[in-house]
Amino acid sequence: MRHLLRNSFLIWMCSLQAHSALAAGAIEGEVTRQPVNQTAIIMFLIFVVATLFITWRASRATTTSSVFYNAGGQITGAQNGMAIAGDFMSAASFLGITGLMFIGGFDGLILSLGAFGAWPVLMFLFAKRVRNLGSFTFIDVISQRLERNPIRLVTAFSTIVVVVMYLIAQMVGAGKLIQLLFGLPYELALIIVSGLVLGYVAFGGMLATTWVQIIKAILLLTGVTLIAFLLLARLDFSFSGLLEQATLNHPKGEAILSSGVIFKDPVQILTIQVSMLFGTVGLPHILMRLFTVPDMRQAKLSAYYASLFIGYFYIALLVLGFGAIAFVYNAPEFFDESGRLIGGSNMAAIHIASAVGGDVLTGFMSAVCFATILAVVAGLTLSGAAAISHDVYAEVLKQGEPDPKTELRLTRISVFLIGLAAVLLGIAFQHENVAFIATIPMVVSASVTFPMLLLSLFWGGFTTRGAIWGALVGLSTSIVLIVLGPQVWVSVLGNSEALFPYDYPALFTMPLAFAVMIAVSKLDASPRAATDRDNYQALLWRAEFGESAPSGQAGSV
Amino acid sequence: MNVTEAELKQRTRRRFFFTGLHLCLYFSFSLNWTVWGNFLADRLGASHITGSLLMFISLILIFIALESVFLWLSRQGERS
Repeated sequence: MRHLLRNSFLIWMCSLQAHSALAAGAIEGEVTRQPVNQTAIIMFLIFVVATLFITWRASRATTTSSVFYNAGGQITGAQNGMAIAGDFMSAASFLGITGLMFIGGFDGLILSLGAFGAWPVLMFLFAKRVRNLGSFTFIDVISQRLERNPIRLVTAFSTIVVVVMYLIAQMVGAGKLIQLLFGLPYELALIIVSGLVLGYVAFGGMLATTWVQIIKAILLLTGVTLIAFLLLARLDFSFSGLLEQATLNHPKGEAILSSGVIFKDPVQILTIQVSMLFGTVGLPHILMRLFTVPDMRQAKLSAYYASLFIGYFYIALLVLGFGAIAFVYNAPEFFDESGRLIGGSNMAAIHIASAVGGDVLTGFMSAVCFATILAVVAGLTLSGAAAISHDVYAEVLKQGEPDPKTELRLTRISVFLIGLAAVLLGIAFQHENVAFIATIPMVVSASVTFPMLLLSLFWGGFTTRGAIWGALVGLSTSIVLIVLGPQVWVSVLGNSEALFPYDYPALFTMPLAFAVMIAVSKLDASPRAATDRDNYQALLWRAEFGESAPSGQAGSV
Repeated sequence: MNVTEAELKQRTRRRFFFTGLHLCLYFSFSLNWTVWGNFLADRLGASHITGSLLMFISLILIFIALESVFLWLSRQGERS
């Protein structure tokens, strides 16, 4: 009977999770508050004390906007790589991918590869050139050759859209996750997350945020390594044995070792791949990290180390995902009376920690998940604050000559307002299906930021008018197709069938944005277009070599 | 600094070559969901490791190897 219940649960979850587990928010739908987990709380308090101490130290050094935004450019490549990994490896990665593998085995790995594939592209195309051209945000890079005010306003707007949507998904996921893991009320969880992030970011700026992310990455990698080790140790370190055990437990049997349990349509796979890769490359809080290192070589090393850490993380998740099937599926203590996994499939990663490491490892991993949320939200908050105070106030309103003290004060006020907005929006969206909100940042980033950045760095014919029209088309079509897609049209609005069949429309919106940017730029005969094209010569040289071109020695490539 | 326009072009070509190679490999993963990738569902010998799982791990390792080569080439270029 229990097996039958699990089968029906599996089918139900497959349809639900194919959408929601792709999202940045780790926990979807209503959750039941769990008993207070004292071990987890003690471990988390240790993390908080350590990171607040670091913040206090960092706050003494954070006296200028430069130190606030980019830690004074003194972070090494290895440290920054670890911080990027800490910024990116969210609770959604750890819990969501393990949960999706728990449901569908191999199919869950599409998210792992999708996210991992971004880092080589970041290194090959952007790391060096972005580092050489920018100061604090990627918008600095784009506005180097294009008309400053309109470009900064459009890109700052798209950055704020990405940050706010990402933040809502993270906060709703965080509130529910903390309810589950710590037994704390939803609202209190949001206030704790927001309060701590305010402390880190407002006082310690990028320096404190970097160290919070580094510590979190070390803890997360330690945790998944420990679980993977304990899992494999139970089967004499035989990965094949682990897979065999998983196939024996899962109702789909050997089908979980290859594709097709959750996803059938190869076009759907391509939509996920395009959105995950190009969306990740264009995330503003990730690009911002490239400015924290002293030079272009360290920027490239940052992307390389990030790849190493994130690649290792996803290979460890491979073990955890199949381990969850092997050791959680047949353990009645992890299922409730109706045969559902306690807390939903996204809790599979925590249950596997319980199965192999008992209460101590469960407490540790719960604390790590909380720390993970703090690190990601801190990075987002900093990025949003920089868009407001640096890109809009300092560069547009003050034309690049702001009063430094006023700028720093405005940055801290922006951090406070973003923190307050995060709590209020988190509460407002508490009972909503936030899967679509989590989709928007990746699709907008892939359809606006990535094309603008690529063309401004690699195409001499790119103009301001082309950039603005392409960005507006990319942004608007992304949002329209998400609304017409299954996550909003069916799940939120209650229609029976979606007007657009895919959750992630970037496969269509990104090429469209590129096409508009190129077509409008080619047709643009304005005086400003000529300036934009001329600016490319000098920009190209500085982007590649970090210095101005010798006279008569720069050309378009 | 003895840098010519040709070197600039070479560096840009290298960036696009590595990106193109990476994207080809990356999108080849979608073969798993097509009939052309059916053979990937086969197990490797007596083990339970399938071609699909091997492809996943291999792609991650190949991507890191590509980055290592790119870094090495960049360093060589900077030295010369």
